[in-house]
Amino acid sequence: MHMHKFEKIWLTFGIGCLVVFLTVVGVSAFYLGNKPASCLTTIDPEKVTQTKPFDKPGLHKVEGKEWDYELVFVASAFSYQPAQVEVPLGAKVKVIATTTDVVHGLEVAGTNINMMLEPGYINEYTTTFDKAGEYLIVCNEYCGTGHHLMFSKIEVVEK
Amino acid sequence: MAKPELKTNQKTQVEDRSSLKGTLASVFLLGLFIIVSWVSVYYLFVDRF
Repeated sequence: MHMHKFEKIWLTFGIGCLVVFLTVVGVSAFYLGNKPASCLTTIDPEKVTQTKPFDKPGLHKVEGKEWDYELVFVASAFSYQPAQVEVPLGAKVKVIATTTDVVHGLEVAGTNINMMLEPGYINEYTTTFDKAGEYLIVCNEYCGTGHHLMFSKIEVVEK
Repeated sequence: MAKPELKTNQKTQVEDRSSLKGTLASVFLLGLFIIVSWVSVYYLFVDRF
């Protein structure tokens, strides 16, 4: 089959780029273990407030785990528990969240913490809070008439 | 009477119709755009916590 010299150049270039992009995504997923926040752990949505760890929303220090703190959020129309939380700078935190009623979003604006909370499912995301500042948490899934009033705040402070 | 100049020795340079130079240039421009977008979004992801 005859192929123009230029065709060979851009085909090699295109396939090369594809290989590089997919390798980066593959290493991120299978070597570094990055995954979507929905970890398919289930919970009875009617008993969220009685189920651990959602009976005590907020920041908790934990021992003997890969992370130093667990930050538990419970979303319900139209607020988050806790409404405001302080996290020490540099802490490795596992954010655990769920909803008691409808689908909500939990997006910490300006960070990679961004999840869709579905009733009956638990979302988890582990990260190190290495930049001080105030971070707004917003609901980014339309959940009802009070959707735009639904927010919370994380303050990353030096301690 | 004016002579119609039908015969001249000047030849206009015309690119061969099967030339792919322009295609190559546009493919690489698009490729560059895709790479820049991909890398900047990836950098944003890596930089944020």
